[in-house]
Amino acid sequence: MTELIAKNLSVTAGNARLLDDASLALRPGELIAVLGPNGAGKTTLMRAMLGLVEADQGSTTLDGRDVITLSSTERARTVSYLPQRRPLAWPNRVVDIIALGRFAHGAALGRLSQADAEAVDYAIEACQLRELAHRNADNLSGGELARVHFARALAARTPLLVADEPVAALDPRHQLRIAELIREFVDAGGGALVVLHDVALATRFADRLVWMSSGKILADGSPRDTVSAELMQQVYDVRAHIEFDEHGPDIRIKGI
Amino acid sequence: MTSRHLLVVLVVGCIIAILAACLLGSTPMGLLQVVKALLGQSSAADNIVVWEIRLPRALAAFVVGAALGASGAALQGLLRNPLAEPGVLGVTATSSLSATFALYYGFAATSPLLLPVYAIAGALLATALLAAAAVRIKSVVTLILIGVGLSSFSASVMSLLLNLAPNPFSLADMMNWLLGSVANRSFLDLLTTVPFIAVGLAILFMSRRGLSALTLGDEAASGIGLNLHRQRIAVVLGAGLATGAAVALAGAIGFVGIIAPHIVRPFVNYDPARSLLPSALLAGLILVLADIVVRLMPTSTELKLGVVAALVGAPAFIWIAMQRRVTYD
Repeated sequence: MTELIAKNLSVTAGNARLLDDASLALRPGELIAVLGPNGAGKTTLMRAMLGLVEADQGSTTLDGRDVITLSSTERARTVSYLPQRRPLAWPNRVVDIIALGRFAHGAALGRLSQADAEAVDYAIEACQLRELAHRNADNLSGGELARVHFARALAARTPLLVADEPVAALDPRHQLRIAELIREFVDAGGGALVVLHDVALATRFADRLVWMSSGKILADGSPRDTVSAELMQQVYDVRAHIEFDEHGPDIRIKGI
Repeated sequence: MTSRHLLVVLVVGCIIAILAACLLGSTPMGLLQVVKALLGQSSAADNIVVWEIRLPRALAAFVVGAALGASGAALQGLLRNPLAEPGVLGVTATSSLSATFALYYGFAATSPLLLPVYAIAGALLATALLAAAAVRIKSVVTLILIGVGLSSFSASVMSLLLNLAPNPFSLADMMNWLLGSVANRSFLDLLTTVPFIAVGLAILFMSRRGLSALTLGDEAASGIGLNLHRQRIAVVLGAGLATGAAVALAGAIGFVGIIAPHIVRPFVNYDPARSLLPSALLAGLILVLADIVVRLMPTSTELKLGVVAALVGAPAFIWIAMQRRVTYD
């Protein structure tokens, strides 16, 4: 089984401790949502777990091997990464952007191997992008573009997925669609680590919540076990009222 | 038109243009005459005109264009900006400055290889500086401003050298250099520069897949498995070698590296990797045609190729800059 395991990761930039002794394991079949205010170290945690920033202390292993020692290609064949900022340099065609997800498998745009073409096709189908496949990216809406980026990550057909705010700046309907796509990916046997800002969305879709503040992981467990007014106060510095019903916690923010 | 059709059209266009460059000139020659001369079967005078004057000149224009076109396309892919180009980023200017030093102090006279070596060293210095800055500075606009700074600095040092030139002959030499020209180039000049251009272009072509990956931005590109560090080094080396050797062959010729990729991009679905080869061919074609215009222009002193390229290229640059949409950032 593929495992991405971070042990006691700490990252410092200048005098600032961006990540402080964080430990976390990502395995297939589990959807983990990382929650926390801006600057809590969520992005740093993901980047450190992928070996994109070097940790001062601690290490991350991917199937027992330190991520720092893996080549970019080896890592990309096991974990796909959807960063927070997704600037497109050119108005490429949707199908080409998705095909870039096959980069680690040696795909070159314009002449895909059969396996690459099949993976791209699968991603297009899964994200319902068939009609948009030959459109150029500069005339897509934000929601469509988010789906295209997700399809790109899906096309890599990796067992694990790490996504940084995949639903940022989307309307509720598109947020739900992306969340459902991630849920489908996990139900099909994948493992996903996802940064979310919407606590309600996270509690609804995730199997496990990881609560972060000031570079530290404060709590890690199922929504039912971790969601509490105290934790909301501690992590987000807001007053919340929480009721549990048969679907899980219902969170209402009362004020600051 | 698909990218394959585009390639065929461009290759045919380049061959026709180079043939035309052999046909046209102060002594007009017929097609049959030129073909015969190319095969060495014509009169001695015709053979000399074609083999010693027109063909090396046309080939020089072509390789210089190809080097600048491919470098421009690769730098645009790396920096993710359609305005990046050896000229705009100050690479050509720094390379010219370094080459002018070799001319000024007479090093260039000691070995035919020294001029290319100096020009390439200057180009590599500039590309390396830009790539190093690109790691820290995320804004491409800032990077282009650094290029403008590099250009201005090189231009001012060059003015200083012109100012201090010991005699009018070296002044004329250096001016020729600054303006950019392929007049009087021999096969020896080609021999000392083309290998560097070939190696530079080979490096760019081998690393072209990474340019597609960079479409997604630095972070996502490393996410999908690109070794960013290696990619940067490859483009710096490749563009530095090709641009430097092109400057050694023809002096400073600007803007072809912007125009050719800009025209090519829509035909290759905006994929930087697939724009490399057609950009090289189109830029080569543009310079061969521009050089024919230069030669046919009935002016008392021959126009310089670099001047003509800039006269067309600079307005095109402004136009492309004004067309830019925010979505590219």
